[in-house]
Amino acid sequence: MKRLLLAMVCLFAAMGQEAKKAAPAADPETQEVLRRINGLTPYEVPDLKLRTEQNYAHTSTDVEPFGSVKPYKEHFLVQMEYTGPGRAAPEPVGLKSVRIGFIGPIESTVSIATGGKSHEEVLGKMMLKGAQLAVEQANAKGGYLKGKIPFELAVANDNGLWGSTGNEVVKMAYENPVWAILGTIDSANSHIAIRVALKAEVVMINTGDTDPTFIETNIPWVARNIGDDRQQGYLLVDYMIRKMGYKRIGIIRSSNRYGRFGVREIKDSSRRLGHPVAIEMAYKVGGDDFSLQLDRIQEMNVDAIVHWGDARESALILNQMRARGMKQPYFCSDRSVSPEFEKAAGANAEGVICGYPWDPDRKDPKLDEFRKAFKARFQVDAETYAAHAYDGMNMLIWAVQQGGLNRAKIRDLIATRSKPWPGVTGAIPLSAVMDDAGEVFLARFGQGRWKYESRESLQIPRGFVPVRDRTSRGLETASR
Amino acid sequence: MKYLLAAAMLAACAAPAQTVGSGSKLPFVYTKWKQFTTENGLPNDHIFAVKSDGPRIWLGTENGLALIDKASGKVKSWTEKDGLPWRVVTGIDVDKKTGDVWLALFGGGLARFSGGRFEHWHQMNSGLVNDVAYGVAVENDNVWVATTAGASRYNTVTREWSVFTEKNAPMEEIWNYGVNYRDGKVHLAVWGSGVLEYDVATGRWKDYLDPDGEMEIDLYRDDGIVHVITTQANYIDKVLWVSTYFGVCRYDGRNWRGYYNKDSGNPSDFNNNLKARSGNEAWFATDKGVGAIMDAATNTWVAYTRDPKSKTGKAVVTRDKTVLETVEMGLNLTHNYILAIDVEDNDVFIATSKGLAWGVGDGYYGGLRERPKALASNGRASK
Repeated sequence: MKRLLLAMVCLFAAMGQEAKKAAPAADPETQEVLRRINGLTPYEVPDLKLRTEQNYAHTSTDVEPFGSVKPYKEHFLVQMEYTGPGRAAPEPVGLKSVRIGFIGPIESTVSIATGGKSHEEVLGKMMLKGAQLAVEQANAKGGYLKGKIPFELAVANDNGLWGSTGNEVVKMAYENPVWAILGTIDSANSHIAIRVALKAEVVMINTGDTDPTFIETNIPWVARNIGDDRQQGYLLVDYMIRKMGYKRIGIIRSSNRYGRFGVREIKDSSRRLGHPVAIEMAYKVGGDDFSLQLDRIQEMNVDAIVHWGDARESALILNQMRARGMKQPYFCSDRSVSPEFEKAAGANAEGVICGYPWDPDRKDPKLDEFRKAFKARFQVDAETYAAHAYDGMNMLIWAVQQGGLNRAKIRDLIATRSKPWPGVTGAIPLSAVMDDAGEVFLARFGQGRWKYESRESLQIPRGFVPVRDRTSRGLETASR
Repeated sequence: MKYLLAAAMLAACAAPAQTVGSGSKLPFVYTKWKQFTTENGLPNDHIFAVKSDGPRIWLGTENGLALIDKASGKVKSWTEKDGLPWRVVTGIDVDKKTGDVWLALFGGGLARFSGGRFEHWHQMNSGLVNDVAYGVAVENDNVWVATTAGASRYNTVTREWSVFTEKNAPMEEIWNYGVNYRDGKVHLAVWGSGVLEYDVATGRWKDYLDPDGEMEIDLYRDDGIVHVITTQANYIDKVLWVSTYFGVCRYDGRNWRGYYNKDSGNPSDFNNNLKARSGNEAWFATDKGVGAIMDAATNTWVAYTRDPKSKTGKAVVTRDKTVLETVEMGLNLTHNYILAIDVEDNDVFIATSKGLAWGVGDGYYGGLRERPKALASNGRASK
């Protein structure tokens, strides 16, 4: 019996050495973070060198809200801390898998957004595939390397009903716990999910919701790795107004939260640049006839039209515009960059320009490798939701590998990463609010394909981005 | 000699280390504290809700309901194996008329603890709009529940349910976070929609929003709610107190006043919750300790924090941002990450993410008074 015990001890020790050997080497910055967060008592808060910025979201002075007034307080410039006791929680033993949550729209159901059939499954299924590939690749490399435990994706459907998202995240937090969560797409559901994540203290990374307000909540447990509608809106406005000189812009959008919040920065920026949006018309998601909205927009004699909504409606609206002789340039959100749009819009797609969170034409061996692996695994091409989910899941897996099975430490490693994450979607630098502050692009459709243009390549001018925050800015930097 | 030594130690532990303006009026400072953790029998240290109910203190934890008998300090608890319908309790209120204890369950809906048994309402057996409940408040015969998908109201007499969402209330968003009832008004703190006020007599709603309408700035300090991401609202003495993750504020029916860490004694702008004791005094649950505004008229605060490296704590008295006094003491808070607060009579009850701290308010007074005699005797008494 003693020999057996001794043999078991030796075996476990050997396994420990093996695992130690296999653990990925941390870079010096990560090692320093680990030094600061490991070994703390429940009462101590590590000094993690909070990220501090002088400008929120690369906003130029001429599109800042209430630009002529020095605000009393400017938010989102200093990174939020997590000050609770979570870092002292010991790593569990005896786990059979390291569960990471996924929540996204993957099953067809009813939807709050439409009052009928849900509509985001096509996006959610690709998001799931991207996450699955990252997990499978991590398992092929040995899983959670401190114990050679496989990662397991805990999948939940986000069915578009506001309340159910909260229920699903609660289950992930308490019933069958996960170490971190990736999701979701619908901005209303995302807000619900992060409120639960905050209370339950589990990090949530978002890879598909471009609502600017998603991260404007001061929650230290939330990150996003996709360029949001604020950044895409700024670029579109700079192109339409500063470069092309359009003075009258009309907006048609879905009457859900995605449409409502998606166009906010375009509306505000246009007004602040002296060219307020001439008309904004909303439509019910799932409809086929947009004549009412287009009648009104046509009456307003606009120079350009912006659409914010899904690919299906985007193509229908464009076709109906062109059929009635409306020749205005057509600008859209990133959801129109899809085969569904191209097929439905046909020749009308020529010249359409969309905001886009990354450059898929970028020459990058990592991206090529990802595309190849994705195609081999799922027999379909990877698109934006798959690519961002792949990056997001890899960020979580990296943080788990480095920080161990401790939700607070997983959060810390993502929050404190100062170097951009080298994703297949490009470099992902997180801002103080843990939002993707990287470059966004314009996608222009021409000759049967999308071409991705940067601000630089299109020589799109931008306003003055100040070097100091608004509340401490002097007159010398607040100039117009 | 022993007594002399003890007296010296007590003086060192609970003496004002720094006093500015000797003879000036100062607020009451709690120096006598009791602590309750799992070592005392709590089912879990992570305490989301606290409710003082006369001789009892009810606690909602991440893994069960607890009851502390104030007189004996004995703890009793209930977990799922004892019939609690769901492990995570995020809100508690007590019906003064019936003695029933109402529980908001985080993912489990609503429960009533009455006569030693639990009754359970959820989406599948009632009109509760969602099972992720953040708060509960008893209003006359009604029980209000703040859920992640709207507010629900249950009439305990007629057993009728009402649901309030964007369809019948001025909720730009439906993510209810806090609920409170007092003096004929129900107040909902709604994430993204500021504070909603429901007048029980008229059945009418009123909303309080951030006037600048921007997430990234607060344009003027005193123009309204400091931010629409609100976490709690308390109405008392015709004054509305509001907590947010971006600062806190007060509305007296005519004037708003915003408070930030940069212009007040509140230790942080990240406020999980609040409890108002009067129109002049309110306690805020921040992620860096407790901030108590003890005299709104003069912006005089007391901030309580625990030393992370020792079993000591301190209270810092400030006016605006000027430190008037620092009181070093023995252990006060069980942790600096505060989730909920209650006050009753002279005492305060601080729910943290690692236990409960009970501030014993012997000699408590509201507002400001001449110091420091009462403080010194309080400090010694705590030892």
